[in-house]
Amino acid sequence: MSDNSPDLDDDTGTFESGLPGVLGTIDVFISKLEAFLLAAGVMLMAINTCINVIARYVLGEGLFFSGEINRILIILITFAGIGYAARHGRHIRMSAVYDTIPVKGRRVLMIFIALVTSVLMFFLCYHSYFWIETLYSRGRILPALGIEIWWIYIWAPVGFAITGIQYLLTAIKNLTSKDVYLSTGVTDGYADTESEV
Amino acid sequence: MATIMMVIMIGLLLLGFPMMVPLIAGAIVGFVMMFDGFGQMGTFIQQMMAGIRPASLIAVPMFILAADIMTRGQSADRLINMVMAFIGHVKGGLAISTAASCTLFGAVSGSTQATVVAVGSPLRPKLLKAGYSDSFTLALIINSSDIAFLIPPSIGFIIYGVISETSIAELFIAGIGPGLLILLMFSIYCLIYAHLNKLPTEDKSTWGQRAVAVREALWPLFFPVIIVGGIYGGIFSPTEAAAVCVLYAFLLEFVVFKSLKFPDIYRISKSTGLITAVVFILVAVGTSFSWIISFAQIPQSLLDSIGISEMGPVGVMIAISVAFFIACMFVDPIVVILVLTPIFAPAIEATGLDPVLVGVLITLQVAIGSATPPFGCDIFTAIAIFKRPYWEVVRGTPPFIVMLLTAAGLIMAFPQIALFLRDLAFR
Amino acid sequence: DTWRYAHEEYEGDVQDVFAYDFKEYVEENSEHTVQVYRFGELGESDDIMGQTLSGILQFVNQSPGFTGSLIPSAQIFFIPYLLPTDMDTVVEFFRESEAINQMFPKIYADHGLKLIQMYPEGEMVVTANEPITSPADFNDKKIRVMTNPLLSATYEAFGATPTPLPWGEVYGALQTNMIQGQENPIFWIQSGGLYEVSPNLTFTKHGWFTTALMANLDFYQGLPEEEQKMIMEAGDYAFNKIIKHIDGLAQEALDKIMADCKECTVTRLTEEQIDAFQARAPQVKEKFLSMTGETGEKLLNQFQEDLKEVQKDK
Ligand code: NA
Ligand code: NA
Repeated sequence: MSDNSPDLDDDTGTFESGLPGVLGTIDVFISKLEAFLLAAGVMLMAINTCINVIARYVLGEGLFFSGEINRILIILITFAGIGYAARHGRHIRMSAVYDTIPVKGRRVLMIFIALVTSVLMFFLCYHSYFWIETLYSRGRILPALGIEIWWIYIWAPVGFAITGIQYLLTAIKNLTSKDVYLSTGVTDGYADTESEV
Repeated sequence: MATIMMVIMIGLLLLGFPMMVPLIAGAIVGFVMMFDGFGQMGTFIQQMMAGIRPASLIAVPMFILAADIMTRGQSADRLINMVMAFIGHVKGGLAISTAASCTLFGAVSGSTQATVVAVGSPLRPKLLKAGYSDSFTLALIINSSDIAFLIPPSIGFIIYGVISETSIAELFIAGIGPGLLILLMFSIYCLIYAHLNKLPTEDKSTWGQRAVAVREALWPLFFPVIIVGGIYGGIFSPTEAAAVCVLYAFLLEFVVFKSLKFPDIYRISKSTGLITAVVFILVAVGTSFSWIISFAQIPQSLLDSIGISEMGPVGVMIAISVAFFIACMFVDPIVVILVLTPIFAPAIEATGLDPVLVGVLITLQVAIGSATPPFGCDIFTAIAIFKRPYWEVVRGTPPFIVMLLTAAGLIMAFPQIALFLRDLAFR
Repeated sequence: DTWRYAHEEYEGDVQDVFAYDFKEYVEENSEHTVQVYRFGELGESDDIMGQTLSGILQFVNQSPGFTGSLIPSAQIFFIPYLLPTDMDTVVEFFRESEAINQMFPKIYADHGLKLIQMYPEGEMVVTANEPITSPADFNDKKIRVMTNPLLSATYEAFGATPTPLPWGEVYGALQTNMIQGQENPIFWIQSGGLYEVSPNLTFTKHGWFTTALMANLDFYQGLPEEEQKMIMEAGDYAFNKIIKHIDGLAQEALDKIMADCKECTVTRLTEEQIDAFQARAPQVKEKFLSMTGETGEKLLNQFQEDLKEVQKDK
């Protein structure tokens, strides 16, 4: 119900970075890594949950660490996914008003949207880092797996940072081009036809 | 404080910001005003993480994954073919088949969008060819897909269940009655519409063809058995049922039908992960948002100001329905459930309303509101998928909205429509 | 000032009544007001504890079972048959125990918390699909427990298969026989309607549901001495009122259950039957000691001494 681009074909197959040279190569690598983590996270979650159901029937009880593994995976998926969604312009938005604005206004508005979103992402990155420090100092552990709990949240600041960078790049892309870009690689779907007028 | 938060959020929302931004900004403003600065942002982050912690949420990616596998495979087509074989030939049969297929596919899929794609895409050309107007066709597809939201599994029920600490299994079971009621109403409307417009009927299938169609659809028909039967029989929790569905969908499409190849699983998992992340980041920031409004006691003062304590159970149900309906005309359903459920929680508790009944009503309103102009997000789904103009998509919706609101009224007047099956299973 | 106080239960439950008694005393004896937040309003148990540690909340009421991941030795209350079994002795134990009144405050202080008051909520009662009279009856039964390793150890020791489940799923899981039993104080069994789907009540006498009111230590120490004193008095005041409140509450709940449910049975274990369960307690003690080390050992020894002390008076 909530992906705003419900086209079920793979529309996130290729990704071209908005960055030049080595930075671009790194960016494409990060994008591939994110895609891999997303897919692997979902597959592992499916496998883990299925094995747990089977174990509950065959052995009479579930695996005691299954819940904690899923908890780790869901954080991984969420925070690897927000950056990936930002790259491909897939975050849910209500664009009805936005869509009625002519292309120039949309470009200005998109620059504003991307910049504000970027700032908020860096803000949350900063605070999630300090939150993890607090967790570290309290030294709590995951009871079944025995690992320190702060580890599982490491993806939060990383995901926020990547998302922030993506929105920053989107703002720059819009500043330097004629079309309107939802993300560095995705135009907003109306720009092509209208910019020719 | 509540006013400032509201103004900022609505402003950012209308400008077209990603929906997480209004929630983040609103919550940050709340934290800053409550604690005189950024000193408690740690709690903001902590509540985000608490939001995606509940184990029941694992059901969301699992059901999305199962539906994704089946939508790309053959299950949806086989279900549609079976429905068509039986009711395709009656007056309005093609339209009724569309509604029925949506309901049936809804028993596989947790989301409206997936259903629009899986059922709407193949059936729309057929409906147009048979002479149904495009506006009727689009409205039918959008609104019938909303039935999928009430038939288990449903992402809406999972999120509501997690937020309100209500049993997801009970919500699932309680959604079946209302879903079937709406199917019945839609079918009657289709029948009348077809008669009024003198639409031709399809050829009647022979019993031999029907037998083939049933045999083809037999495998996918096991999904509702796994979900409903599993929950009824106490074999699975909703999360476990979701995992079993994934396993089953995988075996079906990859091994039995051989409609997908192993490398596809990577693509499908990635796409599921992406949809999950986009929903869960909203759940995360939505939880921080509802934490701060709860801490500031905003729900209580808001409810007092509309005089909810004098309303009684029926009044509260109506107030909740109206609020969710209106909100979903503008904002994504997940966000609405995340923000409004905690606001109404004190009133629901105070009136002693059955939280399962409230959950069904809320989910129904969410479904209606999201198909209602101006901004209901189903409308934009349809625009995106079928590439039709806004007006064309919107024009046929009023009769469906009237029917859905009638259904909501009926459920309020006769809660047993929702609770009968639940009571049968769990009481 | 407005002091913020969060607990883990719903309106009218024991922790809620305690919170409002505490609030009443504070507001009558000072210029401060107390804002009470109930279950779920600010998150789950883990969350409200985190918020108290970071100073957003001044007071938190939390059961030691949930505090366990922060303060492992607080799980001592899950060791079966460690507390006395009858109401009067329990109350006396909580009033006079050195472990509770001297040792625990020190342990909590090490974690940034001022322990104000520990109090019992009610005796744990097991409900199951058939009456339980011996550990053998627990074999092949999945018993729902709160998510806590020591509590799981207790039911393992009793011979059952402990199954952690969130509270919201308990009724349905019992109804559909996914689990065959659970434990809770009797008034929760009554208010949650659990007896409808799990009609055989057994009073195993193995433990009391215990809970504790705490304050953020920095907040507490930052107050003038007379206000610190006032807070501790408010804790005593609420304790005295809650003891009267829970006295009879259990019987009332049981009467309601029996009036409503014809098929319900009540089993009260005899001394010999209790001995069979009590014989399984040492392995839980072992587990507790392995989790808590020296602190746990001292605490456990003191608990056992305190117990002898109060039982001697009888
Ligand atoms: Na569904
Ligand atoms: Na909808």
